[in-house]
Amino acid sequence: MKTLRSLACLAPILLAACGADPAPGPVEQIIVREAGAKTAAPAPAAATGDAAGALIAEGKAAFANCSACHAVAKDAPNGAGPNLFAIVDQPAGQVAGFAYSDALKASGITWTAAELDGFIADPSAKIPGTTMITGAIADAATRQAVIAYLESITAN
Amino acid sequence: MSKTETGSPGKMGKWTRRAFIGAGVVAGSALVVGVAVRPGNPIDRLSPMLADGKDEQLLNAWVKVDADNIVTAVIPHVEMGQGVYTALAQMLADEMDADWNKVQILEAPADKQYVSDSIGRDFLFPDLEVPALFEPTVAGGILELAQAMGLQFTGGSYSVRATGQRAMRTAGAAAREMLVAAAASEWQVPAGEITTADSMILHAGSGKAEPFSKFALAAAEQSLPAKPTLKSPENYKIMGQSKARHDIPGKVDGSAIFGIDANVPGMKYAAVKAAPVVGATVESMDATTARTMPGVLQILNMGDFVAVVADGYWQAQQALNSIDTKYSKTEGDSLDQEALFARYATHLDEAGENGGDVETEEGDVGKGFAEAVTKVEAEYKVPFLAHATMEPMNCTAWVRDGKCDVWSGHQAPVNARQAAADAAGLAFEDVTYHNAFLGGGFGRRSESDNIIMATRIAKATGYPVKMIWSREEDTAQDHYRPSATSRFQGGLDKDGKAVSWSNIHTHLFDPKDAPTVPYYNIASHKIRKVDVPTQLRFGPWRSVDHSQHGFFIESFVDEMAHAAGKDGYAFRRELLAGSPRHLKVLDTAAKMSGWGSALPERHGRGIAFVPSFGSIVAQVAEVDMSGPKPKVTKVYVAADPGFVINPDGFTAQMESAIVYGLTAALYGEISIKNGEVQQSNFHDYPMLRINEMPEVEVALINGDHKRLGGGGEPGLPPIAPAVTNAIFAATGTRVRELPLSKHSFA
Ligand code: HEC
Repeated sequence: MKTLRSLACLAPILLAACGADPAPGPVEQIIVREAGAKTAAPAPAAATGDAAGALIAEGKAAFANCSACHAVAKDAPNGAGPNLFAIVDQPAGQVAGFAYSDALKASGITWTAAELDGFIADPSAKIPGTTMITGAIADAATRQAVIAYLESITAN
Repeated sequence: MSKTETGSPGKMGKWTRRAFIGAGVVAGSALVVGVAVRPGNPIDRLSPMLADGKDEQLLNAWVKVDADNIVTAVIPHVEMGQGVYTALAQMLADEMDADWNKVQILEAPADKQYVSDSIGRDFLFPDLEVPALFEPTVAGGILELAQAMGLQFTGGSYSVRATGQRAMRTAGAAAREMLVAAAASEWQVPAGEITTADSMILHAGSGKAEPFSKFALAAAEQSLPAKPTLKSPENYKIMGQSKARHDIPGKVDGSAIFGIDANVPGMKYAAVKAAPVVGATVESMDATTARTMPGVLQILNMGDFVAVVADGYWQAQQALNSIDTKYSKTEGDSLDQEALFARYATHLDEAGENGGDVETEEGDVGKGFAEAVTKVEAEYKVPFLAHATMEPMNCTAWVRDGKCDVWSGHQAPVNARQAAADAAGLAFEDVTYHNAFLGGGFGRRSESDNIIMATRIAKATGYPVKMIWSREEDTAQDHYRPSATSRFQGGLDKDGKAVSWSNIHTHLFDPKDAPTVPYYNIASHKIRKVDVPTQLRFGPWRSVDHSQHGFFIESFVDEMAHAAGKDGYAFRRELLAGSPRHLKVLDTAAKMSGWGSALPERHGRGIAFVPSFGSIVAQVAEVDMSGPKPKVTKVYVAADPGFVINPDGFTAQMESAIVYGLTAALYGEISIKNGEVQQSNFHDYPMLRINEMPEVEVALINGDHKRLGGGGEPGLPPIAPAVTNAIFAATGTRVRELPLSKHSFA
C-alpha cells in the first residue's frame, strides 16, 4: 500500500506512467450461451394470452410509472401514495392509514374507469391541490392499459 | 458533433468518432496559441478533431469560430456537477469579447495534447512564478512532464485557477488580438482604433462592423501575439456574472448523458464482485445455480473478482448473488477497526517527541512548550470514508480487432484511456475513450479500477459489455479517504497567546500543506507524520487531507482558545493579526452570524477557518442540541477565492461542500472487521437528508483577482469543526472523534 502519494502521482497516473499492470485474463470462463443465441422462450407475461390479458400485461408494465409510490398487493404498506389494491369503483381518499390532501379527501370522486382516466391524465387539473404531483400518463392508450390492470386487481 | 448554444442548451457537445472521421473536409489554415499546446505544430492532428465542417477554422486550442459566428470553447476538463464548463467558457468568452449567447461548449477529447500544463505546473512546481504566459522552455517542459503522467485531470479544485486563469483567458485574448489584427489589415486602419463586443469587430471612424467569423481565416495568418493583454476586473463583462449553467438544462430534461447511459449496439451487461479483502483472490466459485438463471451469458472468474455477463443488468446481478465464492487468505484477514487505531497509536507512540517525518518546523517547539504557562494536549480521530457518488461506478468497453472503445465518466480521461490500453494489451492510439458527464466524482473517478475491470471483461467476451457496480460493491470496494489519528500539544503564554504548536499525525496524502498552519501567527511550530500500513486502498476524497486536518486543526485551536479563557473568534483574530485578507474572511463570517449574540438554551455557535486550494473560507455553524441528536440549523460561510468567476456556481459549491462534509461529520464511517468493509449501502452509510440540511448563507469576497483559488473543495474542511465547536459551546462536550453518530449527547 502506498500511503504517500501526491496528487500528481495518483494511482491511475502511476499506472498510466508505468503501464506496469498486466491485465490477467479469466482464470475460469463459463460460456453459458453465445451472445447472439436465443434464450429459452420466456413464459408470456399474461397467462391468458387473449387481447384482454395482453392489455392487462401492458398496463402492468406501464404501472412502473406508479409503483415507486403505489403498492397494489393486498395489505401492502402505503408508500409515498396510498395502496391501490382494488381501488377501482372505490370512493377517493379512503385507504386506511394514508394522509391524503384535503383536496382529494373533499373531492367526492368515486374511482370509476372514467374518473381514473381523467386523474391519471392530469392529477392537478382533475383535483387542484392534490399532492400527487408526478406520475401522470399523457398517452390515452397507456392509461387504458393501466386502468385495465387496476381493474384486474380485485378482492377475489 | 452535437452542440449547445447558451440560449437553447440541450445536449452537451461530446467528442464522437464521427467528428474525428469528418476531419477530412477541414478547410483553411489553422493557428495555435495557448500554453497547453506543445511548441511544434500539433495542428495537423488537432484541427481535424475540432472541425466538422469546411466552414470552420480552428483558431486555437481552446476556441474555434465557425461561419455562423458561433464561438466554441474547448474545455479540457470534465463536468461532474461543479459547473466547470460554464466557468471556463466565461473566462474565454470575456477575454475574447464573444457574445455569450453564441458560445458553445465542447469537452476536449481524451487526447494527450489536451493535458493541462498549467495544472502540471501547479502540481509539480507550486511556487514557480512565471511572469509571461508564453515561456516556451518552462511551458514546454511542463507539458512534456504532464503528458508523461497523462494529466488531463479534473480535481484539486484546479480548473478555474489553473486552466481558466492561465489557458482559457490567454486563448480568448489571443484570439481576439488576432481577429483585430486581421480586420485592421483588411480595413487599412490602425488596430488601436478597432474595438470588439458581442462577437463583432467594430471601427467607429468608418462605421464598419463585421462578425468575428468574417476574419477567422485571415486571423489564422496573423502572427501569434507574444503576450496577449488580459482584461483588468473593471472591464470584465462575463466573468463575475452568475451566467446560467450550461449543463443544467440537459440534466433537468434528462437528455444529459452520463457514463452509465452509454449505449452500444449489441451491448451486454456485467455485474461484478471483487474479493472483499483487498489482495485476496478467488479460490473457487460455485456457479451451479447461476448458469441456469435467465439471461446469463457468461460467468467469469477473473482471479481478483467474479463477473456475470447477461442480457440485462438485473439478471447479471441476481445470478452473481447466487454464486458461492471462496477467497484466499491474506494477512489483512485479521484486521479490524480497533486494531487499526491501536496500530496508529503504537506508531505515534514510537515516534515519541522527535520521531516521524518532519513536515514543517519553525522556532523551537520543545522550548516553547516547556516555557508555556498553559499547556493543552489533545488527540483526534477520523474514520475511513467512502465517496458514495450518486451514479454507481460503471464502465462500458468493447475490445475487438486490435481496437478498444471505452465509455465512462472519468476525472482523468487520458489516464482512463491508458488504463484501458494496458488492460486490453493495446497501444494508447488503439483505444478510443469516450467521456461523459460524471454523476459525482469527489475524487473517486480519478481512479481507473472500473475501467480496467470492464476492459478485461470485454476482452474475454469479445462483445461490448456495460459493467455496473451494485451500491454494495461501490461501498465495499472504494478507494477510501484515509482514517487518521492526530495528536497535538499547544502552549500559551501568560496572556493566553499561542506560542507553540506541535502536531504528529498518521498518513500524508495530499496536498502537502493540509496539516500546516502558516497563516496562524504562532512563534514555534513543528508538524510531523508517521506512515502506518493498512491494506485498504486510499483515494482522494473531496478536499483530500484538508478533510481530516481541517477538523483536527480547528478543533485544537478551539481547545486552545478555551484554555486561554478566550472566545474562539477573538482567539483566531489574534492568530491572524497581520493578515488582513484572512481577517476579513473570518470577520465576515462572524459578523453574518451575529457572533456573540444570545442563543437559546442548548444552542451553540462554532467557528472554523481553513484556507485550502488557494481559497480562504470561514464558517460559523449553529447547532440545536435540545434533541437527542445534533441538529445543525444554520451555516454562515465567508469565502475569498481571489475573484469569483460565477457567483451562483461558486455559492453552489460552498453549499454542496457543506452537504458532503456534514454527511461525513454526522454519519460517515467505513469500518473494518476481519479485513472486510462492514458497510454496504445507504442504510449503514447514510447521507444527509433534506430535513437535516441547514440553511446556508454565503458571502463572497474578491480579495486578489490575480491569484485565484479553487471552488470545488474549500467549502468542505471547515464544516465539521464548526459543528463540533458549536456542540462544545452548547453542551461543554468536546468531540474528538468523528462521526457524531458515535456520540450520545443526551
Ligand atoms: C410521486 C408519487 C406518485 C406517483 C408516481 C403516482 N402517484 Fe398516485 N398518488 C400519489 C399521492 C401522494 C396520492 C395521494 C394524493 C392526495 O392525497 O392528494 C396519490 C393518489 C392516487 C390515487 C387516489 C387514491 C385514493 O385512495 O383516492 C390514484 C387512483 C392514484 N394515485 C393512481 C396513480 C397511478 C395510476 C399512477 C401511475 C400512473 C400514480 N398514481 C403515480 C403519489 C403518486
